[in-house]
Amino acid sequence: MNLIIANTGGYPRVGDTPELQLLRRTIAAIDRGEKTFADLADAENTMTRRAIEEQARAGVELLTDGQVRWYDPVSHLARKLAGVKINGLLRFFDSNTYFRQPVLLARPERKGPLVVEEFQFACNALGQIPTGREGSVRVAVKPVLTGPYTLAKLSLAEDATMKRLETRANAYATALAAEVKALADSGADFIQIDEPASIKHPNDWGVFTQALEPLLQARDEVRKIGRKLQLALYAYFYNPAPLYEKLVQMPLDVLGLDFTYDAKLADTIAAAGSPRPLALGLVDGRNTRLESAAEVARVVERLLPKIKGERAYLGPSCGLEYLPRDRAVAKLELLGKIRAAVGG
Amino acid sequence: MSREKLKSLGLELPMFPTTSVGSFPKPDYLVKARADFGKGKISRKQLVEMERKATAFWIEKQEELGVDVLVDGEQYRGDMVAYFAEIIPGFSQGGLVRSYGNRYYHKPIITGAVSWPGPITVEWWKYAQGLTKKPVKGMLTGPYTVMDWSFNEHYADRRATSLALADVIRKEVEALIAACCKIIQIDEPALSVRPEELPIAIEAMHRVTDGMNAYFITHACYGAFEHIYPGMLELPVDNFDLEMSNSDLGMLNLFGSVPFTKDISFGVVDVHTHELEDAATVQARMRQALTILPKERIWVDPDCGLKTRTVEEAIAKLRACVDAAKAFRN
Repeated sequence: MNLIIANTGGYPRVGDTPELQLLRRTIAAIDRGEKTFADLADAENTMTRRAIEEQARAGVELLTDGQVRWYDPVSHLARKLAGVKINGLLRFFDSNTYFRQPVLLARPERKGPLVVEEFQFACNALGQIPTGREGSVRVAVKPVLTGPYTLAKLSLAEDATMKRLETRANAYATALAAEVKALADSGADFIQIDEPASIKHPNDWGVFTQALEPLLQARDEVRKIGRKLQLALYAYFYNPAPLYEKLVQMPLDVLGLDFTYDAKLADTIAAAGSPRPLALGLVDGRNTRLESAAEVARVVERLLPKIKGERAYLGPSCGLEYLPRDRAVAKLELLGKIRAAVGG
Repeated sequence: MSREKLKSLGLELPMFPTTSVGSFPKPDYLVKARADFGKGKISRKQLVEMERKATAFWIEKQEELGVDVLVDGEQYRGDMVAYFAEIIPGFSQGGLVRSYGNRYYHKPIITGAVSWPGPITVEWWKYAQGLTKKPVKGMLTGPYTVMDWSFNEHYADRRATSLALADVIRKEVEALIAACCKIIQIDEPALSVRPEELPIAIEAMHRVTDGMNAYFITHACYGAFEHIYPGMLELPVDNFDLEMSNSDLGMLNLFGSVPFTKDISFGVVDVHTHELEDAATVQARMRQALTILPKERIWVDPDCGLKTRTVEEAIAKLRACVDAAKAFRN
């Protein structure tokens, strides 16, 4: 069984030293009229490279661009779609962070790439960065998309035809399916779809699964022309245990789970098994306390024999943006220690 | 309304008492003083002088406007959790984390057992109360919110953390009551973030308020109240201060299905917009409130703390609350 160390999503975009304040200070300077949006792009590029470098140095093998450019997980994608305006702030699930709520003025339509250019930048940035502590570890970038159901659930509609959740979810799904294809064209072979709302609202199961269909079809079409592409579904910010047996039967390639809400989730998985690779979010991405590598390794050892697919992923329970930078690095470094302790 | 309780505390308030949620914007001289203090250019004593001056300004302003229950305006606080975490033993300061957009804060980390260090807010309350004959609210942040908005490296779980913090906050409540504070607001804006944990928030609040002789208010905002109503009414407080206007009074629908059984500080102006609501809009919101809630139970205030507005906007929004209350009294 291959246990791959993977980040889950976001990464801190500032730190406490002046050089790590670059992005924050640039945005503040733009607000004062002292810098331009070209300066902002430079700062985002610099901090993205830094995020990638820190992940690679910490031993992450499947990393993200840190979502450094994202205002939040919802409006970053929605604001790029035609027919959408962005409204005021709302709390993002049970985090003490906020997102700007999209309002659909018409059916949301993809008018251009959503994260393709960000993905390409991250892949190119990798070429300038020492990859892996030993210089011999394969490092890859995965793009992340917030899923259609979560986008729809967190959006409002002024357009009467978009009032139904199902209609909104399907419209977002069409746009995201096109993005999946574009990402595959750009070389992505692993795309992470985040659906935190799916486990919080089990009564919407039908809407959620239906909205994933276009993305799965896009994946299948890409595969038909000979490309390798895996779609991973990540569900976090709530306890996935009650829905586990349904989630794990979905025709996705990887299922990512947040273990921080229910100590018995590991028991559920150990009992039911998994017919596909799991991404084990065993390290709390929202608390600074460092887990015991040995204790987490024992959980991994219980689960690995139950997971089919010859591989699993080990990562934080969610993106690391919720932690101070030094703690985010420590959590990533912990992942390598856990893997080293597995079987030890 | 808990008018009997207020009366027993020696407080006679008019119909539709007016108040505000807690924070007011800091005048420019205080913003500069805080920056200078951060750079080591002025002493703490000099900073405190500016904080006292700003507190006096806001007390005077609230009196001028005719507000019935005053606040000190929290001129000496930054973040509502970090302020307490900087004083309570057991916390250390964490690195920067993002709140939204380009806003970051030092999220506290609980690294040891928390304990009450002695009065935290009492001197400020005494100072503010000494400037007016009207009642000034004691202002605290609730145990569940302090827990939820901090990292925890010490306690076993979220319940244990909340209860430990509740014991600390209870001592602060005791100190405020000993100083003759009659109305104490214990803010719980995180109340609805995990509906399944509402029993923890209720248990913790019992530890804070049980047996305490004061009129208790809690403030909650920007949450999914549909998931915790009517269960939230079990929180042992007399008055819920709720953000109503930002959500277009959507919560009134909940109150229509299951009656709201507490007093309510009803947010009649939105604090997250520069726009000042006109009198007709504010009065329409009050009329809607009166279709669901008994008039004896309604207090009138802004949705949330006004610290994100300019001084002028904050005063104008507060005036809109007072004017609306007066119009309905007549």
